[in-house]
Amino acid sequence: MEIYQNLIEYFENTPTIIQVVWIMSCVFFASIVILTIYLKFLRSHLRKNEMTVAEYQKEYESDLIAYLYSGNEEEEISTEQQIIIDKLKNCSADKFKRRIIVSTLLRLRNEISGEMAESIQKLYFQTKLVDYALARLKSKKWHIIATAIRELRQLQVKEVYDEVIAFVIHPKKEIQKEVQLYLVTLFNFKGLEFLNIIETPLSEWNQIQLLEVLQRFDDQELPEITPWLRSTNDSVVIFALKLAKIYNQFEVKDTLLELLSHQNKNIRIDAINVLAQLQVIEAKNILKSKFNDLSKEEQYAFLKLLENLYEISDEAFLLENIINEDFEIKFATLKILKTLRC
Amino acid sequence: MSDVRKIVLAEDNSTLSLLLKFRLEKEGYNLLIAADGKQAIELIEQHDPELILTDIMMPFISGLEVISHVRNKLNKQTPIIVFSAAGQEEMVLKAFNLGANDFMGKPFSPNELVIRVKRLLR
Repeated sequence: MEIYQNLIEYFENTPTIIQVVWIMSCVFFASIVILTIYLKFLRSHLRKNEMTVAEYQKEYESDLIAYLYSGNEEEEISTEQQIIIDKLKNCSADKFKRRIIVSTLLRLRNEISGEMAESIQKLYFQTKLVDYALARLKSKKWHIIATAIRELRQLQVKEVYDEVIAFVIHPKKEIQKEVQLYLVTLFNFKGLEFLNIIETPLSEWNQIQLLEVLQRFDDQELPEITPWLRSTNDSVVIFALKLAKIYNQFEVKDTLLELLSHQNKNIRIDAINVLAQLQVIEAKNILKSKFNDLSKEEQYAFLKLLENLYEISDEAFLLENIINEDFEIKFATLKILKTLRC
Repeated sequence: MSDVRKIVLAEDNSTLSLLLKFRLEKEGYNLLIAADGKQAIELIEQHDPELILTDIMMPFISGLEVISHVRNKLNKQTPIIVFSAAGQEEMVLKAFNLGANDFMGKPFSPNELVIRVKRLLR
């Protein structure tokens, strides 16, 4: 009691600044104690949660494998399968369990193909998990809609095309991206029809992802890309140019030549690069005639094109440019001239 | 001594491991599952399997290191089938250079895997 009294006296007699420092020290100390207790609680909660997830995952994994191996040829759904379907259907009512079930299905669906992959998709329908994904499409939160579309894509649910296509012009880019991937993954080149309607820019990353998905398919027959090359959305034109380059679309060369006069410089440069790959000789004459009006980047791209398409008649043009003040142009010109004369 | 042929499967996806265990055990093989490369090496050293199935990307020790360990350290010619995901073509080439016998790109058909396993263990 005396110590306590002395402490209060000491505190009252100290200068204000020291009192403030003492108060702050006590507050910080209390905060550290509270935070330590909270972190300990949070950690144990997370560990417990992790263990619960692992337990359920193990259980659902076994159920899934049992479902896949308990089918028979006589019945569409065997008795054992029906028991598993009912169990998973009941568990799906709980959001926490539903998430684990879906992740278990996806973990296997992404790794296998053939009959078993189809059976997993069938189970997704039989357990009514697809209905939960569809209900999430009606959410007001964009990330819930985006994850629902991703889930439908990963489980290859083509049947909900109408519900998903409704989000193709959604203001959130993340949702748009998921819709585009859904369409291309499930409907191959036919899914690219969204290019006719999108008004927002298609990001570079998004274009790479779409091209990566398209290259996985066996059927590499590209539809008519001319409307996309003429799109008013510049990013669609750039994407169509990439398609023309990858799939060697020589039949669209007239449209590509038109793009040499496009108002967007990046499109003009990409068009030159595609024409160079397709070795369209007409492009050389057009570009040569207006070489001095081109931007530096277009001039470099043109000289790259000329490296493969030079003719003896180009010698005068090349000689004219060996005295160009731009070193890169001078160097490229000399390089072509050297090849021409060898 | 059991006549059952032992196969070590190194795969970090537990659902896929379980599925393959069911499928291959149905065919009469004894499947030993490793969740990462480190466990796989331990199992290989302990059990001397007749076939190794390994994923490329795994925690701690990759599938490539497992192949290298089997071929260069243990000096064993055990057949090895490698699983690879899309975009890992370079890794597959490295796996073949290290001594892998076959590869399967994910997603793959478990039935096709059984055929390849049977062919290698013939």
